[in-house]
Amino acid sequence: MRRAVKVAILLLLSAAVPVAAKRPEPEVVATIGGEDVYQLLPVGAIPAIDNPEFVSGADADQQMRPEEPVLGVVMGGEARAYSLWQLDAHEIVNDQIAGTAIAATW
Amino acid sequence: MCHTGVVYARTLGRTTYTFQVSGRLWRNSLIMEDRETGTSWSQVTGRAIYGKHRGTQLERFEAIETSWQQWYAAHPDTTLLKKSEEVLGSHYQRYFDDPERLGLFRAQWLADRMPGKTLVYGANIGAHALAVTEGALDRTEIVQGELGGAPIVVSRGRDSGVRAFVTRVGTDEIKLSRDAESGEVRDVGGSIWDLGSGRCISGPRTGARLETVAITPVYWFAWSGFYPNTQVID
Repeated sequence: MRRAVKVAILLLLSAAVPVAAKRPEPEVVATIGGEDVYQLLPVGAIPAIDNPEFVSGADADQQMRPEEPVLGVVMGGEARAYSLWQLDAHEIVNDQIAGTAIAATW
Repeated sequence: MCHTGVVYARTLGRTTYTFQVSGRLWRNSLIMEDRETGTSWSQVTGRAIYGKHRGTQLERFEAIETSWQQWYAAHPDTTLLKKSEEVLGSHYQRYFDDPERLGLFRAQWLADRMPGKTLVYGANIGAHALAVTEGALDRTEIVQGELGGAPIVVSRGRDSGVRAFVTRVGTDEIKLSRDAESGEVRDVGGSIWDLGSGRCISGPRTGARLETVAITPVYWFAWSGFYPNTQVID
């Protein structure tokens, strides 16, 4: 009986190994508030935008799909939008609106 | 991963910082790293979790998520971040569409009050947090509640973005309702308010302005992980 259980466990383990091996093994680099911080990619591998350029609403309207999601901000009377589809690849824009340095993040 | 778009100030004291993507995740969300000190900042809360500035909170600004069509209609003078290449969809669409995928790592504090992928509108004042569901906004339109002792209102603007304000002028608490006929938002004293800007546009309180509370549209699994004691209006 014991032997049967051992065999069953070994079978389960060997079955589990290839599945586990396929997953990436992110490195735990810190633990904050009891929760692990994982390093998945090198710093900067997803490139933030540091020198943003802009187009007018009319030009933007030619490039944007009506349903395309945006993050919008109004500061000092200036309105600005960021396509979230575009931010998927950058996650951070180091920007400035109406003289205020801001980071648009996604 | 958590569906959070947030705008932060990059200035602390007299120094302006630039942020980069650290490649690290905490609570299934982006950690930003400033290039000047290497401090790690949580993108969801704007708080430094380790490094030189640990414990420091970035100021955040109101930002809304909506569609390009609705944004452009409400803000015809807007500019848009230029695209260097054509982008025809989200990398993450399959992730967004899959109700079973809650980030990359098991959430430690997933409250089972609603499905983890439910999009909620989160607001916080310090550690006090409130989540308003889409359902509550659809049903009530002008959702009034309390956050850390302050009366607040949460509603959708003309651009369909969700905004929140502290409904207090001086020491007076403002009770708002939508006039069924005109569609105007009024307080009990007859003043008319614009819940896109928080300004009183007509009536005895004309010119008064309500304080903004930044809203984060966010998946419930993430919000309840950061704010396990959050109140919910659903």
